[in-house]
Amino acid sequence: MLDVDVIVPRRHFDVSVALTVASGERFALFGPSGSGKTTILDAVAGLVDPIAGHVTLDGVELFSAEAAGHRDRGRRSRPPVVVPPWLRRVGLVRQRPDLFPHLSVEANLVYARDRVDDAHLARLVEVLGIAPILGARPAGISGGQAQRVALARALATRHRALLLDEPYTALDATLRRELTALVRSEVRTAGVPAILVAHELGEAQAFADRMGIIDGGALLQVGAPDEVVRLPASRRVAELVGYRGFVPLPGGAWTGGRLGVVAGVHPQRVRLGADPGSGPVLDASAVDRRPVGAGWGVDLAVGGSVVSCLVADDPPSPGTELSVTLLDPPLFTATGEAVGRSVTGGGR
Amino acid sequence: MVRARGVASGIAAALVWLVFLGPLWALLAHLSLHSVVSALSAPGALDPMAISVEASAVSVVVLVALGTPLAYLLARDRLPGARLWESGLLVMLLMPPLVIGLLLVFMIGPATPLGALIARVHLSATNTFLALVVAEIYEAAPYYVLGAQAAFTSVDPRLEQQAVLLGDPPRRTVRRVTLPLAAPGLAMALATAWARAVGAFGAVIIVAYHPYGLPMKIWITLNETGLASALPFALALLVVALPLPLAAYAWSRHARR
Repeated sequence: MLDVDVIVPRRHFDVSVALTVASGERFALFGPSGSGKTTILDAVAGLVDPIAGHVTLDGVELFSAEAAGHRDRGRRSRPPVVVPPWLRRVGLVRQRPDLFPHLSVEANLVYARDRVDDAHLARLVEVLGIAPILGARPAGISGGQAQRVALARALATRHRALLLDEPYTALDATLRRELTALVRSEVRTAGVPAILVAHELGEAQAFADRMGIIDGGALLQVGAPDEVVRLPASRRVAELVGYRGFVPLPGGAWTGGRLGVVAGVHPQRVRLGADPGSGPVLDASAVDRRPVGAGWGVDLAVGGSVVSCLVADDPPSPGTELSVTLLDPPLFTATGEAVGRSVTGGGR
Repeated sequence: MVRARGVASGIAAALVWLVFLGPLWALLAHLSLHSVVSALSAPGALDPMAISVEASAVSVVVLVALGTPLAYLLARDRLPGARLWESGLLVMLLMPPLVIGLLLVFMIGPATPLGALIARVHLSATNTFLALVVAEIYEAAPYYVLGAQAAFTSVDPRLEQQAVLLGDPPRRTVRRVTLPLAAPGLAMALATAWARAVGAFGAVIIVAYHPYGLPMKIWITLNETGLASALPFALALLVVALPLPLAAYAWSRHARR
């Protein structure tokens, strides 16, 4: 089990996060660029030292330091514990594969020598299809191949925890799906805690058992991959997980009688037409429409703001007046706090 | 179009060779095999060459031993006051060698505390082999350290981090990752430092008039018997100074491919 509770100073804010990842569990940290995700991985790996807090892996303290305030009060504090990164046995795969350019692919794979599980490596080489390039130098292989090699190197080395820092971002969708599936099963088999950092929600959801939403160095919400989207803990979380608009609801059954409540509008959770059993029904007018994937994206003017939604067929032409139903939307106060689901009509 | 560009670049290359290497052609044109053989076969004529090679070898060994760690720390910003160190090296690089020589007299001359300290172990840093080495180190050091710093800077620190996470302590990481990747740049820095050390003259003429290395020998021969008799020693200096840099250049081009 990995237990992290650290404060790491950054230029504009402190990254202050507490999270626990069980052995064999896949945890995703999702947040915008610069929110402090990578800093957390670096603190676990030992590449940066927090100013306070602790990192514990399988009951072994990797880092521990008391906050300065405790020392100031004259208490006799323990000296900080800092296990250097080469003894932590924490694997890290980044977006750039970090292959050693002066070594062959094979030498890269067995770089950690005594920590490499040879049988496991042979299996990974086969599954990932990198046998033909074992003799090549990293400069002579494609980006997708390099990332497979980096992944194989991390998975074949016996680590106690696995950290993945947007490892698939530069890859095409098919390879991304393949590698995600492989890592999921590998983590389960190895029984080590794994953290994936992602700034794409889909990537985080595809990987994780549980995910944390991080912004400005703080963990805003931790929950199941579907829960954080259906029940965002605040308007900021809702924005981060894809709610594109926030429309005021008139006081009534949907708001539990509260006034000044806004509903989050997620493009995938809007139904054209009135369906009062599924959520609040609002008057809208179509503003624009365009093809999105196999369906249509429609921009609707609702309650003074423009929100987008996705429909499979028959997008209304611009200017059409219509009713829309927000499917069980999350509700927020004017200050952005969640006030509970509209259907249940009360706080959580 | 492509052909015209090829011709133009060929002409440009020829011009560069003519302008920069013209003096070299002139040197070769003015030398006869007979004059070279007779000048270099005179008794003691090869002593300056031996002294130059020995002093430069010692200088380069000292530079590699002390300059390489310094360059690494500078490249990784791990040295307090790194910018100050860099400025110091730049000043050394920009300072006329003659001035370096004068300042060295004030630093390690017999009348200085440092000179006195050196005298205690029955050595002297003026007009000795030691003085020659010191002068050569001062002239060559910035070329080596700044070159080596650039070589280390070109190594992605993420690769070093990856090696550390795969279980290598810092020293082993340097040996397995940093040095092999910086090697082409280090070789170039080393070769440049060698050429500077072998050819050091400005500081040398002030603090190490004796023993004669090749540059001093050229200078003295030029003054005593004229240009023609100095030319064979000039050729000898080129033969000593250039092969290492050229080999390093060829190797680093090959290694970077």
